[in-house]
This record gives sequence, structure tokens and C-alpha cells, in this order.
Amino acid sequence: MDTMSLLMQGFAIALTPESIMFAIIGAILGTLIGALPGLGPANGVAILIPLAFSLGLSATSSLILLTSVYAGAMYGGRISSILLNIPGDEPAMMTCLDGYPMAVKGKAAEALAISAIASFIGSFIATIGLVILAPILAKFALRFGPSEYFALFALAFATLGGITGKNQFKTLMAAAIGLMIATVGIDISTGVQRFTFGTLELFEGVDFIIAIVGLFAISELLFFLERHAGDGLKQVAVNKLKLTAKDIIEVLPASFRGAVLGFVAGVLPGAGASLGSFMSYTLEKRFSDKGEFGKGDPRGVAAPEAGNNGAASGALVPMLTLGVPGSGTTAVLLAMLISLNISPGPMLFQQNPDLVWGVIAAMFVGNFVLLLLNIPMVGIFVKLLSIPPKYLMPIVTLIASVGIYSVSHSALDLYFMVGFGVLGYILRKVDIPLVPIILGMLLGPEMESSLRHALVLSDGDWTVLFNSGLSIGLWTVALLGLILPIIVGPLVRAKMARAKAAKKDD
Amino acid sequence: MRINDRVFGMLMLILAVAYGWEATQFPIPFGGHESVGPETFPIMLSIILGISSIYMIVRPDPDEKWAPSAMLIELSVVVLAMLAFAWAIEPIGFMPAAAIVVSFLSWRMGASITKSIITGVTSSVFIFFLFNTVLELALPLGLLEF
Repeated sequence: MDTMSLLMQGFAIALTPESIMFAIIGAILGTLIGALPGLGPANGVAILIPLAFSLGLSATSSLILLTSVYAGAMYGGRISSILLNIPGDEPAMMTCLDGYPMAVKGKAAEALAISAIASFIGSFIATIGLVILAPILAKFALRFGPSEYFALFALAFATLGGITGKNQFKTLMAAAIGLMIATVGIDISTGVQRFTFGTLELFEGVDFIIAIVGLFAISELLFFLERHAGDGLKQVAVNKLKLTAKDIIEVLPASFRGAVLGFVAGVLPGAGASLGSFMSYTLEKRFSDKGEFGKGDPRGVAAPEAGNNGAASGALVPMLTLGVPGSGTTAVLLAMLISLNISPGPMLFQQNPDLVWGVIAAMFVGNFVLLLLNIPMVGIFVKLLSIPPKYLMPIVTLIASVGIYSVSHSALDLYFMVGFGVLGYILRKVDIPLVPIILGMLLGPEMESSLRHALVLSDGDWTVLFNSGLSIGLWTVALLGLILPIIVGPLVRAKMARAKAAKKDD
Repeated sequence: MRINDRVFGMLMLILAVAYGWEATQFPIPFGGHESVGPETFPIMLSIILGISSIYMIVRPDPDEKWAPSAMLIELSVVVLAMLAFAWAIEPIGFMPAAAIVVSFLSWRMGASITKSIITGVTSSVFIFFLFNTVLELALPLGLLEF
């Protein structure tokens, strides 16, 4: 059992006091970030990257910190779903369906506790899945040549819209914009200046961390202002917790099923956490005939929560082994890795086993911390949730700008950040997704260099891109990922809408 | 109305053409032509962007409503305030600049004047000391430097 011993070494790293400290800090921050409506996990991780960077944390510590933030945000998302009926992030939407009715019935504390347990089970099982699947996939990916990588990157963009994607052309457009931003700067292999217009600041290209914070955090602030959402929303009061062992045992099967489904959805390109929690919920509803789903059934809280946490860990599999993230937040984590000079992908498992297994072990540790944090201390988070956004959002914006400023101590970076914020606002208004832009900026250099390698090796013969079975397979999936949502997407969306509408009728 | 997508698609089409044209103008790199030069990938991108913007013009989605013009002016003021903050960090110092911009933002989001000033001042002082002493990242003192 090679994996086992590597994992044990990982635990040796994850259980040092320093790592545990970062896991705890990350878990607390993450839960907060997830709980505050409008501050999704991608946003939160993006704000923290420049901080981790300028604090000079080691790669392992930064990654432990940010993966715990990521996991914490998935836990936190449920708090606002249950208490406010507003999902903290998209995957937490399904938790609203039964979580909020439970809270209205005066069982808010039970709903929070059950969802915490389900989240724990979801993350735990999916992390085990990650331990088993990641090394296998990494070994397999060693067979990839440059043309396979090029196809894989194309696949990542094609499936990013997900099965529920609305307009595939807009995803494509966003990807092109991101890749175009990535081409700005001096071309690494020839030294030719591209799109710099002679400006010194653009020689090194556009810093994607600045772009991420601007696109996510600053545009969010503008949307808050526009919607007059400064006062926040009325939340349901939390009662005293009365949870028996029987209540927990009743939701266990639902949690396990949700966890497995979620993990699978997370690993697969184009599925993601939203679909994971949706599938878990619908399956659970069909599976258990005599429930009162939609009216506050505990199993209806457990299944989607386990599903979305499972998917969150599952999404780390393609990110770590192939260097191709499947969701917005994993894209942001990838940004972190790249800026630390670590290139994810199959070689990561060979060159930096300490880092990979340290982080995986830290996910187990973080998960326990989160469970402890989220059951007895949920009250503190609930209190913080009641601080209206009119005080919180400006402070969050301030922290984001301080983070950006402290990386290079240049006001110019802040101008860029604000510029990207305005751009993000406009793009969201015309419904262009932001994640493909980020992914384009991140993957652009790699994608271009694999194209070049492939073509140089083949002496300019473009058919090299399609000449192995593997690359043809990848292109086929990419094409399916682009076309399938146009056919299936409307059906799935209609189903999701019906699930929501049916609940409102009750 | 389906005007947003049409206008945006048009802008992106212009960008695609300009970007693609610019790529064909790259100087020939040292060592002569290769099968893939610095312009190959950008040209591919400009084609993709071009196709998707034409699709956007031909089959636009329904518009999301823009904010009324009063709100757009307000948003521009907020953006200007953030730019001013970026400019002011060094000459004026982090604490005063941050206090002003945070108070302004929270006032614009609907907090009362006193409460927004309290938020601005406490958060900027707290963050300054957190960064300078605990995290040891120096933020400029500016006017407060003696």
C-alpha cells in the first residue's frame, strides 16, 4: 500500500502545530465567508490569496490554509440557506428547499446540526475518494503528450458551463477573452512583445490575482449597491438544540448516498457541486417514499449538503492531477498554486509528494475541525451573519485592496483591480460567465505552449492534434460538453425550477 | 429588449478583429519563421471570439435591466472613490484614506452618517495595526508620519 504510507507522511505534515493552526484559521474564515450571502467561496479564496502570498507562507501552509477556507465555505453556505432562505453560494440552493422550512418550524438548530454532520460525511467520503482516485489518475495522465494536453484544456473550457449552462457561446466568448488577456506580455519562447503597446507595466502580463479579486469582489460590491441590499435580510431565530442519536441515525443513509453522488459529480468535468447537490436531493426524494420533502424533512437537508461537500472535494481531483479545475473555486486554488510556482498536474504527485499528501491529510484534519466548529459554535457564526452588509461589504473591500496592495506596493495594481471590477460588473450584466475568463488567464500560457510543442514536434502538421486515441477521446468529450447542454440544459433547468416552484406552492 | 447582447457582441467583434490584426503585425522573431509563431494562438483566439460575438449579435438573449441612470451615476462615484483611495494610500497614508473610503461606502450602502464613520475609523485603524504589527506587512503612514 504505497498510497497508505504516503498518506501517513502527509499526516505527519498536517499534524504539526503550524499546519493545524492554519487549518483552524482557514476553517473559521471559510465558514464566515460561506455564510455571508454574496461572498461565495471563489470570492473568499480570491481575497485571501494575495494575503497568503505577501505573508510569505510556505506553499504547504498556504495551500492548507486555502483548502480549509474552501471546505469551510462549503460548510458555511448552508447557514444562510437555512436561516435566510438565501443560498450563500449556488450549490447551497437545494439546502434551502428543506432547510428553511425546518427553520420556520422552529427547528433551525436541528437543521444546522444535521447539515453540519451531513457536510462532514460528504467531505470525509469524498476525501477518501480523492485519496484512492487521484494517484491512479495522476499515473494515467503521465501518458499525456502536448497534443493530449491541448485537447484536455479545450475540454476544460468546453465543459465549464456545465450541463446546466445557459448559453454555450457566452462561455466560449468568456474563455476567449481570458485567453486573450493571458497573451498580453512578452512571449516566453520568442521574446516578442505582444499587445503591450510599449507599456513597461504590461511586459510581464496581467496579474491574474488582481483580475480575480477585481472581477469577483469589486463587482459584487457594485451589485450590492445597486440592489440596495445594504440592510440584509430577516433571519429566522435559532432555537435551542435538541438532537437525539435517533435523529442522526435517520439521516445517515441519505448522507452517504449524497456523498457518493456528489463526489462523482465533482470529479466529472462539467457537472460540479450544483448538479451534485441537485442529484442527491432528487434521488433522495425518490428513494424515500414517505417523507415530507419540501416541508422540512431532515433527509432533504442532509442529502444535498453531503452532495455539495462531496462534490467540492471531488472537484480537487482533476485540479490536482491534471491541472484542470472543474469549478470557479478550484480555478482560484489553481491560481494560488501557479503563483507559488507549483505546476499542478501528474508531475505534482512525483515531484512534490509532501505537498500533495500534506494537503490531503490536512483536508481530513480540517474536516474534523469544521465539524467541531460548526456544531457547538454555530451561534457565533449566526451572530456575525446578522451584521448587515452595509458595514461588512466596505470592510471586505478594504481587506481585498490591502491584500492586492501589499503584494507589490503599487497603486497601479489597485487601479487595475477597480478596472477589472467595472469590467466584471458589465460582464455580469450581459450574462457572460466570469469563471472561464479566470480559467483562460490561468491556463492560457500552458495551453499555448502545449500547442506549440505539439506542432513543433510534428513539424507544423496540424493533424497531430487528433492522431492518438486518447486525444480523439478528449476532443469527443469536449465536443459533447459543448453540445449536450444545448439539448439537455433546458430540461434540467426546468426540473430545478419546478422543484423550487413546487415548494412555493405549499 | 435584446439590445445589450447586440451592443456587447458588436464591441467584442471589433475587439476580435483588432486583436487578430494586431497579431498578424508581430515582428518576425529572431531565428526566422517557425511553424507556430507568437501569432498562431492569438489568431485562433480572435477567430473564436469573432464567431461567438457574431452569434451573440444574431441571437441575443433577453436583456437584464440596467440600473436607472441615477444609480449608474452613484456607481461611478463609488468607482471614483475607490480609485481615489488607491491614489491616496501613499501620499495621505493608509489610515486616513481607508477611513474615508470605508465610511463613504458604508454611507452609500445605507448606513447612517455617524455609524458609517465609526465603521470606517475602527476598521481602518484595526486593519492597519493588524497588518503592521501582527502580520508585519508595512502599510504607509502618510500624513501621520512624524
